[in-house]
Amino acid sequence: MNISSQKLANLFSRILFGRTDGSSYRRFRFILFIGMIGISLIPVYVTTALHYNEYRALLHREERDQLRSSSLGGKSRVEAYVEQYMSVVRFITMQYSYEELLDQNTTSELLENIRKEYAGFVDLGVVNTDGTLQTYAGPYRLQGVDYSDQQWYHQVLVRTVYVSNVFMGFREVPHFVIAASTKLPGKQEYWVLRVSIDIKSLEQVISRVVAKEARDLFLVDANGLLQTPSRNFGGVLDRYEYFSQPLKNVIDVREKQFNDGQEILQAVVAIENSPWYLVITKVGYSQSDVWKSFSGRIRMIIITSSVLVIVVIFQVVKLLTDRLKDEEQKKRALLSEAEHTSKLASIGRLAAGVAHEINNPLAVISQNAGLMADLIEISKSFENREKFTTSINGIQNAVERCKKITHRLLGFARRMDINLENIDIKDLLHEVLGFLEREALYSQIGIELHIPDDLPMIVSDRGQLQQIFLNILNNGIDAIGKDGTLTITTRVLLSGMIQVAIKDTGPGMTPEIMKHIFDPFFTTKEANKGTGLGLSITYGLVKKLGGNIDVVSEVGKGSIFYVSLPVTNPSRRDENV
Amino acid sequence: MKMSEIKVLVVDDEVEFAISLTERLKLRNFFCRACYSGVDALRLIEENIPDVVVLDLKMPDMSGLEVLSEIRKKYPGIQVIMLTGHGSITSGIQGMEGGAFDYLMKPFDINELEHKIRNASKNIRPAPLGTGGAE
Repeated sequence: MNISSQKLANLFSRILFGRTDGSSYRRFRFILFIGMIGISLIPVYVTTALHYNEYRALLHREERDQLRSSSLGGKSRVEAYVEQYMSVVRFITMQYSYEELLDQNTTSELLENIRKEYAGFVDLGVVNTDGTLQTYAGPYRLQGVDYSDQQWYHQVLVRTVYVSNVFMGFREVPHFVIAASTKLPGKQEYWVLRVSIDIKSLEQVISRVVAKEARDLFLVDANGLLQTPSRNFGGVLDRYEYFSQPLKNVIDVREKQFNDGQEILQAVVAIENSPWYLVITKVGYSQSDVWKSFSGRIRMIIITSSVLVIVVIFQVVKLLTDRLKDEEQKKRALLSEAEHTSKLASIGRLAAGVAHEINNPLAVISQNAGLMADLIEISKSFENREKFTTSINGIQNAVERCKKITHRLLGFARRMDINLENIDIKDLLHEVLGFLEREALYSQIGIELHIPDDLPMIVSDRGQLQQIFLNILNNGIDAIGKDGTLTITTRVLLSGMIQVAIKDTGPGMTPEIMKHIFDPFFTTKEANKGTGLGLSITYGLVKKLGGNIDVVSEVGKGSIFYVSLPVTNPSRRDENV
Repeated sequence: MKMSEIKVLVVDDEVEFAISLTERLKLRNFFCRACYSGVDALRLIEENIPDVVVLDLKMPDMSGLEVLSEIRKKYPGIQVIMLTGHGSITSGIQGMEGGAFDYLMKPFDINELEHKIRNASKNIRPAPLGTGGAE
């Protein structure tokens, strides 16, 4: 790959992932994760919230409607009751004259008769025009009581028929009064028929009012005093402090927060022709078990599905980004390998040029020294012959060393293309070890070679084989560190391939590390020491040459790399070199 | 010049190398001459046809391969041994493909060259790589 396309690839990945390191993947993964969760969960939440609210509003409406109809039913029941008693009182005033009723016997008889039909009547009294109780029939001794200062008396004079609040009155028993005023014939004066009614009958009427799921149901007067006993707010004439007077002909339904923190729905409606208000209270739907279990279930479903969605998305995103990362890393490994290769190629070209330039003068030196040796040898007498011969041998040895170096440099130069030739593995391994001898010596690493002499030659690429073994041996030396042995063994496999086993006495690898050692950029060496490319390039080269590479390792015992190579190169089997 | 002497021409632009190599070959009983360019080589061959030409691959005026192909064309009987400073067999192989008898990488041992020259004069070819058969 040339440099400009490499730059383009870098630019692309920078645009896609920001910085091209590990954190950009984490950011990409985070954005993807959040995005996918948003897309899948927001519609669920919105739909659920809409339905939840709709259902709540429906319940709310229904509950209020129900309460309203209960109130209406209760109201008409109580009004019918009031009307009944009022009409009895009106009937008496129409059937009997003032004078007739002043007769004690008549009155008592009348009370007796009425009580047969209407048990609620307690007593019956006739109040004269001055406001004094003139005649009285009933269980109390009230005759002669002056009512002219009492409120009900004033009211009845104004309204003809009047129903009072429940009160204690002179008798100290809660009761209420129905009174009717009648004009004396031919006079501008009124007499009043007064009946008091036991509130038990009122309580009975209230108890018969049907109100589903009502918490409490009672009557109060305009001041909020209880007219019938309540379940929660005390007995008759106790105060119901949450009372507020409704408008006329309106059923007032509202929520009330009670002192104990309970949310209560309250309906208040005025009872016509009476000073009373019917109050029905009810525990709100939001407190009810049905609602509680409903919202509990909703919450459960939402939480469960959210967790499920998050887990699934997390896994999917992880899978996706891991795959992407893998691809990107592979791509980068390829790029880097290409870069590495081109770097090596240019170094190789340089080395080749230098080596060639040096080989020629080396040949001059070698031949001239050789000539000198030849001449000394043929001359009969030559002073210091020994010393000269030694010196010339020294020169020849130096030339030989230089030759090795230049040939090695040239060997690197040829690494790039596959150049097939007949190769003696033994020679090749010796060549490679030539590079490493010094290092091995310093690190006190012994190198043992077990190579049979009858090993067949193989057709392969010298430079690439050099690099393969150089990498593996280097790795072995690095693994051992200091003091150890590298053992190289070769043998012919049944398949006909030649296997080279390189065993080190290093620390060995865990199976986890072993799984990754041929992966690009995987390194266990400290930072800046290993590129993580050596073994991956080696792997690539072995594969390119039609061979296999494998590793066996045990922690504490060292590792063995097995490189098997075909005797004939599969890609060029039919060609001669 | 004895009849048994093998006639060798050394062609190399590296004058000192050619001279000393020639001297050494003479000491080993070869009839040996040296020249320093391809053009000179062809002229000398015309004057006195050698048995073996030791030919450097890389020369300024006319490359070894060109000289080789001239020799093969005009004097098929002359055997050529190529010398290369490249240290690689690739250039040697090029020479072999061009019809050279053998090749040697610089610097080399004189005994090796002597051996190859003697083989060349007897036309005993080394086995070509890979095939295992003769020409």
